[in-house]
Amino acid sequence: MSKKYDVIVIGAGNGGLGAAVTCAKAGLKTLLLEKHNLPGGSASSFVRGRFEFEPSLHELAGVGNPEDPGAIDQMFRRFGADVDWIRHASTFRLVVPAKEGDKDTFISEDGVEVTVDARMPAGFEPFAKKLEELVPGSYDSCMAAFDLATRMYSALDKLEKPLEIPSILKDVPDFMRITGHTINEVLDALGMPKKAQDIFNTYWCYMGVPGSIFDYLYYSLVLHSYVKAGTGIPTLRSHEMSLAVDKKIRDYGGDIWYNSEVTKVIMKNGKPAGVVVNGEKEVYASHFICNSHPNITWSELFEEKEVPKKQLKMLNARKVACTLTTVYLGMNKTKEELGFKDYSVFIAPDSDSDKQFEDCQNLFNGFCIINCLNEINSNASPEGTSQLFLTTMSFGDVMKDVRPQDYKKFKNKIAEHMINVCEKALNISIKPYIEEIEIAVPATFCRYLNTPYGTPYGYMLEKWDSIIPRTIQYIQDQPFDNFLFCGASQERGDGYGCAYYSGEKAATLTIKAIKEGK
Amino acid sequence: MASKIKSVKTNKFIPLLSGRQKKFEGEMARLPEMPDQAFVLAKALHPKKQFLKVAEVIERAEDCKSFVLVPDEEKGTKSLAYFGAGKYLTVFEEVEGMKITRAYSISSKPKDSLEGRYMLTIKRVDGGLMSNYILDTWEVGRSVTVSAPEGHFEYQPLRDAKNVICLAGGSGITPFISMAGAVIDGDEDFNMTLIYGSRNRENILFYDELEEINKNGKVNVVHVLSDDDAEGFEKGFITAELIKKYAPDNEPYSIFICGPQAMYEFLDKEIAKLGLPKKYVRHEMFGEFRNPASQADYPSDVPETVSITVTIQDETTTVTGSTNDTVLQILEKNGIAAPARCRSGECGFCHSHLLEGKVYVPKALEYRRLADFKFGCIHPCCSFPLTDLVINVPVAK
Ligand SMILES: Cc1cc2nc3c(=O)[nH]c(=O)nc-3n(C[C@H](O)[C@H](O)[C@H](O)COP(=O)(O)OP(=O)(O)OC[C@H]3O[C@@H](n4cnc5c(N)ncnc54)[C@H](O)[C@@H]3O)c2cc1C
Ligand code: FES
Repeated sequence: MSKKYDVIVIGAGNGGLGAAVTCAKAGLKTLLLEKHNLPGGSASSFVRGRFEFEPSLHELAGVGNPEDPGAIDQMFRRFGADVDWIRHASTFRLVVPAKEGDKDTFISEDGVEVTVDARMPAGFEPFAKKLEELVPGSYDSCMAAFDLATRMYSALDKLEKPLEIPSILKDVPDFMRITGHTINEVLDALGMPKKAQDIFNTYWCYMGVPGSIFDYLYYSLVLHSYVKAGTGIPTLRSHEMSLAVDKKIRDYGGDIWYNSEVTKVIMKNGKPAGVVVNGEKEVYASHFICNSHPNITWSELFEEKEVPKKQLKMLNARKVACTLTTVYLGMNKTKEELGFKDYSVFIAPDSDSDKQFEDCQNLFNGFCIINCLNEINSNASPEGTSQLFLTTMSFGDVMKDVRPQDYKKFKNKIAEHMINVCEKALNISIKPYIEEIEIAVPATFCRYLNTPYGTPYGYMLEKWDSIIPRTIQYIQDQPFDNFLFCGASQERGDGYGCAYYSGEKAATLTIKAIKEGK
Repeated sequence: MASKIKSVKTNKFIPLLSGRQKKFEGEMARLPEMPDQAFVLAKALHPKKQFLKVAEVIERAEDCKSFVLVPDEEKGTKSLAYFGAGKYLTVFEEVEGMKITRAYSISSKPKDSLEGRYMLTIKRVDGGLMSNYILDTWEVGRSVTVSAPEGHFEYQPLRDAKNVICLAGGSGITPFISMAGAVIDGDEDFNMTLIYGSRNRENILFYDELEEINKNGKVNVVHVLSDDDAEGFEKGFITAELIKKYAPDNEPYSIFICGPQAMYEFLDKEIAKLGLPKKYVRHEMFGEFRNPASQADYPSDVPETVSITVTIQDETTTVTGSTNDTVLQILEKNGIAAPARCRSGECGFCHSHLLEGKVYVPKALEYRRLADFKFGCIHPCCSFPLTDLVINVPVAK
């Protein structure tokens, strides 16, 4: 039998990395097991020809600035992980091309007939001013929404610190009132004009639930970390973040095994006691932190009879979150030659987030986020070239009719659709200049993330399953007292920051349990 | 404004907490049924390994054979992973106590894999470990283990020109046989011209098959013989002039190249004369790099042998090897299996941590990620040791 660990972390995605580094730093004997040959899960990179592509990161929320580091920068400083951040201070541009019969259309700066063209600056005040310019009469409600967001954000923060919970109601009087209400409900109450709400809600897709479902309290966190704190990216793609943390885990004495898939969890006395790696090697530990999606964990790593009943019920009650399709393009023209002016443009077939959500029940949906990495990272690709990535979102088993022999054509068809959407909405030409292309569809994400539908987002943040009940009920939702989940399936849902946060939290609880001899 | 917030009713907080647990209680306590199709596809297209059996051996030339491989159901492979024409399989073998791998392009067409057939075509390399071993020992009924289909040497309609000039040399014909089959089957849609360089008429692999392909009309086949002057064949080497002769005049075209390393070096110079944009020129991978000391940027005073301390999972071993070998080859020669697929630096499958020591990486095979340089990661398949090394390598898969 190999040596026994204090903690085995299953999976080196953002959540698992956050968990392992926290445990190792606290001096626990830590083993991180990863199926793939690299750390990071979504947080990685890949090379095609002379391009190195960013696979998933649009913006890392909460990087902040050097004087006032945001939550994620602070966390990496705590880990001691060396990442060179590029900070940037714009939010997004939303473009809604006009459809037949649309009223209120106008010609965008690109010469396209649109109903919305909104380029939004970072910072609450500048954002609200811009919104007023686009939708007169929206400034006051926008500032009120931000003000509310700031207070809700502080309440969320307190909720994580048991000693501060009693002060929430005193310090944030509207906490109880707002909790459980959607973005639409709150913005309606604040009297924000509909058109302004549509622009305000653009970030819905980062969490995968529209304005009529999205809990305002949670949106507060999103607004706070994207609009206020300022976003960023690592200079060397997200592979830099993953390797930086990998290095610290080793420096702190932790072990990492790549190409090492946990194929079974070994149970003793009704509790996890060890794992089987690649079907052959057994390793034991007293505690476990699992970054694998619960659906896959329960169906592949356990016998059905070993799974706590409540966990099975949770699986059936919860909806798997959205899945993504991404087209990575290495272009043999610069961004100026192509006519790009923005890092991040959201192109939507309709301005209303609920209509967008409905459209995304299909894969061919006209919804596309286009990012030009060179816009914020001048070294993103060799001289004379640029790197783009296009992302769309969908829900459910959108590949259900695709057979292996249709796979390549299917990929090219969705890629072409997405490129067409961007070319039309921005009046630019992309196709003639593609030097490298890679297309990731839900099956691709299944392969790399090993999640149902390939979702990188965990479970849908439905009204009844939103951040507040998830946070308050975190402990009672965990399967065993020595086996905690982390990652996008946990209380804060998807996003690099949320996943790291969940890993650090699971680790903190594990460290405490071990110190207390549990 | 603050007063407006008061119009939001305080009615949701408590039900939110109790409602969630109640919702859970109301559900069935059993695993959900079938996995989704995206998940099923991912597993079908990318099996961890494929266990196959040799069903047929075809003599192609004196030093070259094709092997038809079918699923070995007893070992758990029920069907073959479908692939795009141009992909390769990595073959796993144990030769003289070494666990080695080599990449071989699939020479059968994609459609055949649906009927449970792959074909690999292997040419003998003087002194070569795997090619000699395979040609001498693989016979009908033998078990063979291969990877999932890998690689990116494929036609891509959104990237490549509609006209593709394929340049093949020697065993480099293999991916193009597959591509031609895919074009004829309608699985790929481009205008394919195949220019195939061989020494003489007898050295041409797949001659009869290429005649058939040519007759079909969808693919144009041109043979070029370097050592023979024969009727109906081009004479000499594949040059810029020859490419121009078969390329369309007023339409863009892509060039795909697959052949020995010497051919890449020659053709790179020829193709430069054509002034094509980079996107229209694509190479299959380089293959293993030999003789690093011949490179201009190779440092001096490199010892002949070095020791490598390698940790794989919880086992640490120290081995010695020649600085003329890659880190991967040194491990293999010492009986240590290490992960590898392309063995050309490109796929990143061998990605490992270099904890101490220095390595030399030939420029042509430098495909590491930027952060790999910052944090000391290497691709052992194209890294030559310059000093003693301490490395951490993922377990072989
Ligand atoms: C993507 C890909 C696809 C491939 N497809 C095919 C295919 O379809 N069919 C096929 O036959 N091969 C193919 N190859 C090549 C194949 O993988 C092996 O490299 C080949 O079979 C030789 O392996 P070996 O073990 O016999 O020789 P090795 O043991 O690798 O070679 C060892 C000896 O060969 C000599 N040697 C070999 N090459 C050179 C060289 N260029 N210069 C100087 N000395 C050299 C050296 O002296 C050395 O001692 C492909 C390679 C790649 C990367
Ligand atoms: S095996 Fe492909 S890069 Fe080393």
